Amino acid sequence: MTIEAPAPFSHPVEAEFARILDFYGIPWQYEPRTFPLERDALGRVTEAFAPDFYLPDQDLYIELTTMQPKQVRHKNRKLRRLQELYPDVNIKLFKRGDIRTLMLKFGIQDYPDMMANEL
Amino acid sequence: MQATWHSPLGDESSQLHRDISRVLFTQEEIQQRVVELGREISSDYAGLNPLFVGVLKGVVFFMSDLMRAITIPARMDFMAISRYAPHGGAKGPVRLIKDLEETVDGQHVIFAEDIIDTGLTLNYLLRILKTRNPASLEVCALFDKKDHRLVNTPVKYRGFALPSRFVVGYGLDYREGYRHLPFVGELRPELLNLA
Repeated sequence: MTIEAPAPFSHPVEAEFARILDFYGIPWQYEPRTFPLERDALGRVTEAFAPDFYLPDQDLYIELTTMQPKQVRHKNRKLRRLQELYPDVNIKLFKRGDIRTLMLKFGIQDYPDMMANEL
Repeated sequence: MQATWHSPLGDESSQLHRDISRVLFTQEEIQQRVVELGREISSDYAGLNPLFVGVLKGVVFFMSDLMRAITIPARMDFMAISRYAPHGGAKGPVRLIKDLEETVDGQHVIFAEDIIDTGLTLNYLLRILKTRNPASLEVCALFDKKDHRLVNTPVKYRGFALPSRFVVGYGLDYREGYRHLPFVGELRPELLNLA
């Protein structure tokens, strides 16, 4: 069984993450900014990255991924590129294991269903 | 005559031990580090009669051992907060469900935590304590999972860095169980229904 994500989120893990932040009164924004990573010869953006969350009080971007460890390489590459191009941007990647730990910590027992679809 | 006490959990054939796939920190390692923290704090707070504050329930084991390692006059008190309810089941935001009995105003407060993970709980409680005008406010955490931090908070006294793993024991629970293990370890994957 998989759990659907309520709008505006694209994944139920994102929705739960937002609810945890709300519970603690931490302001957040969902995908507020897209960072161009690559451009073609004409200057058109060919690759970009929009982190899932921005926490303005912490000046911190959060990217969540439920991909299996072997599949995270592409996401890691994007993050490295973002940090090269935007060294002042603080970003943290929560991988599948990190999310699982977080969900267990907050008593979310049906997290396997939430993580069935890739984020 | 010195009394000796052997925990029934010392029996490695016990059900609780069988549920653990790997021990990350042994009872001896934890006790040694707690004593070191106690010594350091006792030296730093000599003459200040610090107030140790913890949030229930996970901290009780660490607080008990830490307080017994403190060699100067000191006091302790506890707070408790409402629990997060998943899937939008939370009845409003986090709130205090047990407040301190001790006065914080003008006191040297050490906030003791068993583990700092995201920093969300700690941040919430420190904000409350700061409004009560302590003379000073520092954090002592036995375990620190820094990679998970969402809200940065200075930690003056740190026991161990903890990897990004779900662990139980020494106050850390899974569904309220395993807190009373004297060591910290990982549960067997099948018990967590790992995905």
